Amino acid sequence: MKLNPFTTATALAALLVALPATPAIAQTAATPIEAELASKLDKLSAELAELKAQLAQLRKQNGGTDTAPAAQAAAGAAATANVAPLGASATANAAGSEQPATVLSSYGEINLNVPTNDSAQARADLARFVLGYQHRFDEKTKVVAELEVEHAVSSAVDAGEVAVEQAFAERQINPAWAAQLGLFLMPIGLLNGNHEPTAYYGVERNFVETAIIPSTWREGGLQFIGSFDNGITLNLGVSTGFDVGKWDADSIECVDYPLACIHQEMSLARAHDVAAFGRLDWRGVPGLLLGGSIFTGGAGQGQPNAPSSRVTMGEVHARWQPGRWDLQALATWGAISNTAAFNLPIVGSRALVPASFGGWYALAAYQLWTQADYTLTPFVRFEQYNTGRSYADLGHGLTPPSLPTQQVVTVGLDFKIGEGVVIKADYQDFKVNTDLNRVSLGLGWNF
Amino acid sequence: MTSELDVLRLGPACGAPMRRPQWLPTATVVIALTLTASLPGCGGGGGGDAASSASAQAAPLGAQAALGEKIFNDTSLSASGRQSCGTCHVEQGAHGSDNALPAQFGGPAMDRQGTRQTPSIRYLATNTAFFFAADGTPTGGFFWDGRTKSLADQAGKPFLNPVEMANAGKAEVVTRLSRASYIDEFRAVYGATILDDADSAFQRITLALQAYELQAIEFRPFDSKYDAFLRNQTSLSDQELRGLALFNSPAKGNCAACHPSARGSDGSMPLFTDFSYDNLGLPRNVEITANADLAHFDLGLCARAGADVAGRKDLCGAFKVPSLRNVARRQALFHNGVFKSLKDALTFYVQRDTSPEKWYPKNADGSVNKFDDLPPEYHVNVNTTEAPYNRRTGSVPAMSDAEIDDVITFLKTLNDGYKP
Repeated sequence: MKLNPFTTATALAALLVALPATPAIAQTAATPIEAELASKLDKLSAELAELKAQLAQLRKQNGGTDTAPAAQAAAGAAATANVAPLGASATANAAGSEQPATVLSSYGEINLNVPTNDSAQARADLARFVLGYQHRFDEKTKVVAELEVEHAVSSAVDAGEVAVEQAFAERQINPAWAAQLGLFLMPIGLLNGNHEPTAYYGVERNFVETAIIPSTWREGGLQFIGSFDNGITLNLGVSTGFDVGKWDADSIECVDYPLACIHQEMSLARAHDVAAFGRLDWRGVPGLLLGGSIFTGGAGQGQPNAPSSRVTMGEVHARWQPGRWDLQALATWGAISNTAAFNLPIVGSRALVPASFGGWYALAAYQLWTQADYTLTPFVRFEQYNTGRSYADLGHGLTPPSLPTQQVVTVGLDFKIGEGVVIKADYQDFKVNTDLNRVSLGLGWNF
Repeated sequence: MTSELDVLRLGPACGAPMRRPQWLPTATVVIALTLTASLPGCGGGGGGDAASSASAQAAPLGAQAALGEKIFNDTSLSASGRQSCGTCHVEQGAHGSDNALPAQFGGPAMDRQGTRQTPSIRYLATNTAFFFAADGTPTGGFFWDGRTKSLADQAGKPFLNPVEMANAGKAEVVTRLSRASYIDEFRAVYGATILDDADSAFQRITLALQAYELQAIEFRPFDSKYDAFLRNQTSLSDQELRGLALFNSPAKGNCAACHPSARGSDGSMPLFTDFSYDNLGLPRNVEITANADLAHFDLGLCARAGADVAGRKDLCGAFKVPSLRNVARRQALFHNGVFKSLKDALTFYVQRDTSPEKWYPKNADGSVNKFDDLPPEYHVNVNTTEAPYNRRTGSVPAMSDAEIDDVITFLKTLNDGYKP
């Protein structure tokens, strides 16, 4: 693991906070064992003092920077693993004083989908075009915002939409903890926080993290992000949540994407109910990420058309990048409570609110060929998911049956040019509805 | 009080280009709120917001609405002296007709028949002026063909319709009004000199009627059994629930496609109409006097007064989707009142295409004269793509006889005035 001076300084700063100075503890030790331990502690203190001096020198070399955002440390620690801590990724390279105060960012993806059984349904789409900025007011305080256009044109007669995907202020409270307030990406899963086309394999985002985890999932609220030198990253927060009253019983989208059907995206979001979430990641071994997250929040929002209900979901994820390999796996599940009362008036409709849903996927990618800044990475991904695993009992003949479990195998190639541009191609095989089988081509960029 | 006395079109499905835009409920509520807020004395409501209704007590009418109520029931404003708004829009008929006539009689001698069934004028507060939605769906407007833009606009037409109240002009209406017992109230509300200008006075008449229809709780009681069910104040029987499921099911009745049964995302109570239009290819009704002329066809939307959509021949034969609230009270159904029972109406829906010989007369050669109430060139406009119409002769109907009975049982829960 290669650490630059600034990263080293940051890690040391975190260590200093975690281990405050402990002068001459050995002198007060009561037993021989305690005395031995105290002696070792004294030695550590001495070494720490020496490190402090080195740190001060490093800070001088870095232009007098006196803060060391924990996110920077964690990002540096994760650099080899190419897995940035969620919620803090935007901060990763911006703290250095050599960076301008305002940084423009952008990503985009242009996709071509061709169903193999019905080429008349082929679609070419500028699926996403995103412009973002980060403005740093000082070394501890910044704002981040992203504006997205989907499907190229948004107007009264076009399908596209314009959305603000992120808009938050962040404050580095101390070397370990940062706080974000505003509209931010929920730290759930592998994709949601790192959804740029250069960050995932395949032309389209995986189904598990779109149909079950509603990427790009953002909420308004407050979260704290802690990054520790033992490789642990924590996200804890409260936010807005879902509004089950938005459910459209006539919408096939609600069948296929139940949570996306009732998300609020902080657009006049009902805020009667507060949601809470948390995430724990561990990056203690270079190249390895293990973690999980959980979300729970009321979805009735105090509305008369929506009985008190709650959306709860969780996921566990792993990513391992030994050598040229990139191995990923994620499993997620979700539930909506008290759906019988909501579903009864819409019984028989195309879309009823599911009581539970979930899925998992596993992915293996191998960096097959590299030359100059070209990288060719074939991959294969297997997904299994069900957006209506169960429905609340409405009585004989009225309770809808569970939906069939979908299985999708994706085989493809990612061809990267540098770190910013990727050209993709894949084939997706749907086990349940083979009419959906398709070949896709894509271009993505990110900076 | 409509110039054309139309029927209820119980359409379970709409033509694909006529589907309800997703944003409509919100938009209509916003418009309704704007409308009610702008009307002096209006009590709001209308769209049926969650908190309003059934349990809501009738608030005293404002002066304008109280005046509107008197005008609504005043037969002296008609040429015959025997017809008021309330003559056709009978409270016992949920403010629609309370008889089985396909169209009511009016005119100076009350001997001239209209051409369409009297629609209920309840639950119209959130309706809008006619427009084409972003996806091309014709939406809104008042009357069966949507030709007027507001309740007030609608309220003025029957006074001047020769087969209804049959006044020769606005001045004649105002002259009759000047002899009314409540004329001093009219002057008190609208000014001492209001009768000096006939056009202004006539406009105030329509505004008073609109205020009455918007404010009076009887036009939006939201007190059916189904409303109580949505408020968790009662439960539906097993058969009623089965009927609701069939009503909602896209593969069965598919009724909710045009007659939404769920609360709006804002909590508003369902109105059982999306205010769109559809062409059902109804059988011709020989009870309507005008149909004695074989060359006469009621083409609905494309032929409406004003001819603003006359160029849209694809809309010929389309009529407005009515609310299904109180549909079980109707004794004549659809715009031409051709069916006299829900059983017949629903059976027509599911068997129109599987057994057309049941519904249409035969041609001289023995073939079925399907869609006989439309000229042949407009048969292509009839909705044949969505359930339950997407069948062929001899196919199994979308619903069985027992299932139709279930749906009818459910529809009866939509009658206002439920007492637990």
